[in-house]
Amino acid sequence: MATTTVAPVRKSVSVHASAAHAFKVYTEGFDTWWPRTHHIGKAPLEKAVIELRAGGRCYGLSIDGTECDWGTVLVWDPPHRLVLAWQITHEWGYEPDLAKASEVDIRFIPEGPDMTRVELEHRHFERHGAGGESIREAVNKPDGWSGLLALFAAAAEK
Amino acid sequence: MDALSDRTRRAIVERLLNGPVSVGDLARDFPVSRPAISQHLKVLKRAHLVIDRPDGTRRLYELNPAGVEALRQYFERFWSEALAQFKVAAEKRK
Repeated sequence: MATTTVAPVRKSVSVHASAAHAFKVYTEGFDTWWPRTHHIGKAPLEKAVIELRAGGRCYGLSIDGTECDWGTVLVWDPPHRLVLAWQITHEWGYEPDLAKASEVDIRFIPEGPDMTRVELEHRHFERHGAGGESIREAVNKPDGWSGLLALFAAAAEK
Repeated sequence: MDALSDRTRRAIVERLLNGPVSVGDLARDFPVSRPAISQHLKVLKRAHLVIDRPDGTRRLYELNPAGVEALRQYFERFWSEALAQFKVAAEKRK
């Protein structure tokens, strides 16, 4: 059966820095730029972390000490490329199943000794959708929000 | 978002994520009657979440791409803001 696909979001930004530095700030310095408003835990965000290796966790450390995972490093190729799984599900909770996660692909392209274009593509939003096998489960749950639909509803309400 | 306040309607929208379906398909998959499905689809159509088109003797229902577009729009805005903050950080700490 054909699956509804959702077009990817593509963004790019040029920064006055080498690719090595840009990659370092994006990853090691993740906490210095990640928007504070974007956090799935209940308590306010203390620190945003990407573990610096393939298979590493992406998580937020809340001020109450709890850690909220939201992703996994799928590709770790410094200083060229980073791919993260975006594992956020219904009611902005954590989705452990990578098959139900969208992906954020970030490329660091040198444009000069001190200039780098960072290209970001967030794709496969449709993977957040529920599979057909879970229809009855969704109908029978007291509040059947799940997957893409919850994200969609949250986005539409903002 | 009133159209999505009903759990059967939310489940119908989730079903449509997998592709277009007819009322008959939905009636077979869901524990509700065919007239009830039609009624739910009518509400979803009014909310512009679902569109329909003829397919031979039946009608096919599918998600309105403009509805799912709201999700994309959210990430468009989010990543614009995030990358702007990233640029400031990358150009500051050298």
